[in-house]
Amino acid sequence: MTTKIKKLFKKCPFLILLVSTGLLFSLIGLYGQKNVYAGQEYDPLKEPALAVMFKGWKQDIYPWQIFDRESMQVMASGEGNAGGEDVMDQEDPEAPKDTDAALTAEDEAQSSGEAEESGNPGSGDPEEGTDADADGAEADHEAQERPQPDSGSGQGNVPDEGNASEESNVPETGSVPEGDNGSEESPAPGEGDASRESKEPLPPIEPLRESTREEYLNHISADIYGDAGVKRAAEYEFTQVDESYFDDALFIGDSRTVGLRDYTDLSEHADFYCETSLTIQKMLEENFPGLGTIEEALAKKEYGKIYIMLGINELGVGTTEDFMEKYTEGVAFLREKEPEAKIFIQGIMRVTGKKNSTDAIFNNSNINARNNAIATLADNEHIFYIDVNEVVCDEEGNLNSEYTFDQLHLLGVYDDLWKQFLLSHGVVTEE
Amino acid sequence: MAGFSELGFLFRLLPVFLIIYFAVPARHRESILLLESFIFYAFGEPVFVLLLIGTTALNYYLGEKIWKPGGVPCIYDRQIRRRKVFLRCAVGMDVGILAVFKCLSVFVDSALLPLGLSFYIFKMISYQIDMYRQEISDKPGWRQTALYFMLFPQVSSGPIMRYAEGGFGSGRQRSLKGLEDGLKYFTAGLGMKVLLADRLAILWNDLQMIGFQSISTPLAWLGAAGFSLQLYFDFWGYSLMASGLMVMLGYPFILNFNDPYASRSISEFYRRWHVTLGKWFRNYIYIPLGGSRCDKKRMVLNLAIVWLLTGIWHGSGMNYLLWGGVVGLLIILEKTVYGKYLQKIPVLGNVYVLLLIPLTWVVFAVTDLGQLGIYFGRLFPILGGAGIAVNRQDIARYLQSYSIYFIAGVSLCIPAMNRFWIKHKDHPLVVILLVIVFWMSVYMQSNSAGNPFMYLKF
Repeated sequence: MTTKIKKLFKKCPFLILLVSTGLLFSLIGLYGQKNVYAGQEYDPLKEPALAVMFKGWKQDIYPWQIFDRESMQVMASGEGNAGGEDVMDQEDPEAPKDTDAALTAEDEAQSSGEAEESGNPGSGDPEEGTDADADGAEADHEAQERPQPDSGSGQGNVPDEGNASEESNVPETGSVPEGDNGSEESPAPGEGDASRESKEPLPPIEPLRESTREEYLNHISADIYGDAGVKRAAEYEFTQVDESYFDDALFIGDSRTVGLRDYTDLSEHADFYCETSLTIQKMLEENFPGLGTIEEALAKKEYGKIYIMLGINELGVGTTEDFMEKYTEGVAFLREKEPEAKIFIQGIMRVTGKKNSTDAIFNNSNINARNNAIATLADNEHIFYIDVNEVVCDEEGNLNSEYTFDQLHLLGVYDDLWKQFLLSHGVVTEE
Repeated sequence: MAGFSELGFLFRLLPVFLIIYFAVPARHRESILLLESFIFYAFGEPVFVLLLIGTTALNYYLGEKIWKPGGVPCIYDRQIRRRKVFLRCAVGMDVGILAVFKCLSVFVDSALLPLGLSFYIFKMISYQIDMYRQEISDKPGWRQTALYFMLFPQVSSGPIMRYAEGGFGSGRQRSLKGLEDGLKYFTAGLGMKVLLADRLAILWNDLQMIGFQSISTPLAWLGAAGFSLQLYFDFWGYSLMASGLMVMLGYPFILNFNDPYASRSISEFYRRWHVTLGKWFRNYIYIPLGGSRCDKKRMVLNLAIVWLLTGIWHGSGMNYLLWGGVVGLLIILEKTVYGKYLQKIPVLGNVYVLLLIPLTWVVFAVTDLGQLGIYFGRLFPILGGAGIAVNRQDIARYLQSYSIYFIAGVSLCIPAMNRFWIKHKDHPLVVILLVIVFWMSVYMQSNSAGNPFMYLKF
């Protein structure tokens, strides 16, 4: 038998090696779905099992981790959580563990205790949203109690925090402004305008509802905040500034910001920490070639303005809540390291109408939903929300197709529109 | 699932095809392969598969009337005339079908161009003319004819093999050696396509994204070079995969690219680039028109006809016609004016090819003539192509990101390098390298499946 195999191996070593490694990778893919790859969507009809291993690899989940004790613990904790929601779990065992696996991928050293926590509502688990009618009722109830985002007058209301943290899927939301104002006290209710004049930071806006499971499964970013945040942020009166304004500015972004850096003269003034395919998840970990991490940048220089435009690459990944949570953390980090800096949250630039109507993920309704979420972080004191879509979109609100070749990025020539927009949206405080 | 580099083909369709093909007795092998080819094509073109079957049946019927065993002269005039009539019918029908669908795809909807039509129709024309010229000695049965037209490795993008090159009809023998060798060619092709061509495609996409008016002159040249390599590895990779599959199935290896970038003239380049297409035009258009064995004027006309047709064959845009015209003109100039100097003076020919071919590829790549003008303005700013919002440092950034692909690509353009790989293809280190190339390609494909932006992250 062995001589036969030896003979065969001698005759066609390449074939044997490919077949055997292929089988091994398939086994890893299949076995790993119980633990390390549990977070991946896998459709056996669409792709072979070994693709799971390679997809995991891309997310820094390596095949040998299927034997890791930690991964097993995460798996165990995932199952533990599922105990309370066994109905959902049986329907689709993959989805609920998604966040767990993603967290594992990001932070291998995560303790099992944290993993258990992540199974709680705090992780924005999508199954929560559809967990029977009771939850929906709660959400409605909540929405009624909360300030109505569309009516400007209610903006000053201090939300019932206890209520939010118990029932809301995203207790972290708005924690930045909260944390910052903790000592300063929130503004008095019903005095939105007054609060702006007195430079008091605005209170956080709570989501109207939770993302539903259907939205999550279909990669739809739920518009859970409405346009309250956007409207409120737009009330701030920005100032026209000149280029020297950007001398102490830091830009963080993806390939679109790379375009701003490369095809305008802003990089002669500001520092750019941007890279193709950057996401809000990777923002703080990223080691920018030749520059280092953002944390190092903040340690090296004192920045007066920090601009962020991120979010297009992670469309279709996780829920609006997940995105918002990461964004909130990111902004909180920047605030902590650079308390004096003004942070400009830039709305994600939209895509053209053609792309919008043909792409299930990279479309403007998903972009708008996420912009509506991050706009609520603006307190018009330290954190501002600005939206370049005002100057690059057509009447229908899609990216103007004349400004782009690939439906996504501004042509180099048109990056100047963005620069001019930034120049007209300066924040100058008298000190 | 028409792409050989797709996971569904690599890990589902292909293994099943091979196992069945190797399991059945030799006499059934052609039938099985025909069935598999039908399934493969139907996956890609569930509707137009009927067109393939219809044209196959008609061509078989007409071919039967045309066929005459090799070496047997036609004695009667009537017989000769009868065969000629059928040949005209067959070729007229094939050309007509190609023309109709090409027009439909241009004027109505691009989705109306059936997968591989240009390739299989060219095979059908070749089949009929070879039948008429008595270059096919054994009369093809319906199974062999259908298989020749439909063979799944070749149906979608060639190579445009001639019937006699396929060695049809002789019962295929199982051969592990063939399987092993074919798999190696296939893997080399897969690597070229996925690891080189698909990566370099991002560079070209980036240039379009930035807008040609804003790229620096060095970047414009880098882009032209990158596109030249991208096109080469995309098509050579595909051809290698196709020929590798043919070898796996026990058929001969069909050479489609023969180190074209080492050529010393444009005419030599096109004898080495897409060899089977070049031979097709030579055998069925150029030589029947009189080729070069006639007076100079006639030869120039012949070349012009061949190259305009080649341009039309490649695509419907005006730029393809322009491309065919430019290449044709260069070849005419070589044949009539300066060709001999290129051969005599060392290196001159190579420099000439490496300088001009990328420029012709730019014409090939940019379908909008206005944009083409802008691109040439950036390539030659002296002609008045001032850029707008040009970033002078862009070249450094792109060189940094892409130099590895350029180094790998250029090294694979050196003939000695290719001879080295082929000579040592059984060496354990080469085998291991190929295993790595295979799985790296699968890694890339796994992370791009279902995501149209696979290599176009923002």
